[in-house]
Amino acid sequence: MEERQYDLIFICRPDTPEADVDKVVATLESTATEKGAKIESVAKWGRKRMAYRVQKLHEGYFVYMVIKTTHGEVVKELERRLKVADPVIKYLTVRLDEELKRQEKLKRHRERRAARRPRKTVAAPAAPVAPIAPPSEQSAPTA
Amino acid sequence: MAEENAPMQQSHGPSSGGMRSSGPGGGPGGPGGGRPGGPAKRGKRNFVRKKKVCRFCVDKADFIDYKKAEILAPFIQERGKILPRRMTGTCSRHQRWLTVAIKRAQNIALLPFAAEL
Repeated sequence: MEERQYDLIFICRPDTPEADVDKVVATLESTATEKGAKIESVAKWGRKRMAYRVQKLHEGYFVYMVIKTTHGEVVKELERRLKVADPVIKYLTVRLDEELKRQEKLKRHRERRAARRPRKTVAAPAAPVAPIAPPSEQSAPTA
Repeated sequence: MAEENAPMQQSHGPSSGGMRSSGPGGGPGGPGGGRPGGPAKRGKRNFVRKKKVCRFCVDKADFIDYKKAEILAPFIQERGKILPRRMTGTCSRHQRWLTVAIKRAQNIALLPFAAEL
């Protein structure tokens, strides 16, 4: 199976000490490596205001990580861990590899078109020039 | 909502049937340059509508990131509803991506489902 990429975001209670957040990240990392997944990056967005109230809280500590794996079941296990973890109030996993693949494809397509374009643009200005000539009729009546 | 829709639909158009012969001549591409849906300076019935362009096409976006709430925010109403294409001018492809991105952002509390009281 080809490699999949997931985005995993979870939100902790705003009053959790940094150490506890690190602990959650560490447990996720260990379970991930255990199951053969690789954590590409971990980014702490820090305390942010949430768009709506979650468990009567307005703020949360956001942590964002990127996971690469060939086994989709890892996600299930990670989500179970998050559900169990006390400081976590919300989490979201999104599979992104297909969209990134599409993005790559579109980008390549665009670059190929851009590379091809120079010839076209040389031809294109020639065409508009001709239509511009007829408007000289406008000046003809006045003259 | 209904008030917002009216100018967009150019509901005054048909009534100004006689005026139109002079209207479109200077209208598209001409001076005046009103805001989208806004009235032109000259006649009160002349609407110079600027063509709405898909913002994501202008930026040549191949991917709409759900994590950037500030990019998605202009495409929702204050009450949290996703704005339709006819209001924002987004092309169909990007609108499809946009709705997915907005819904993801809602799930992780980056955007509201509905405005709070």
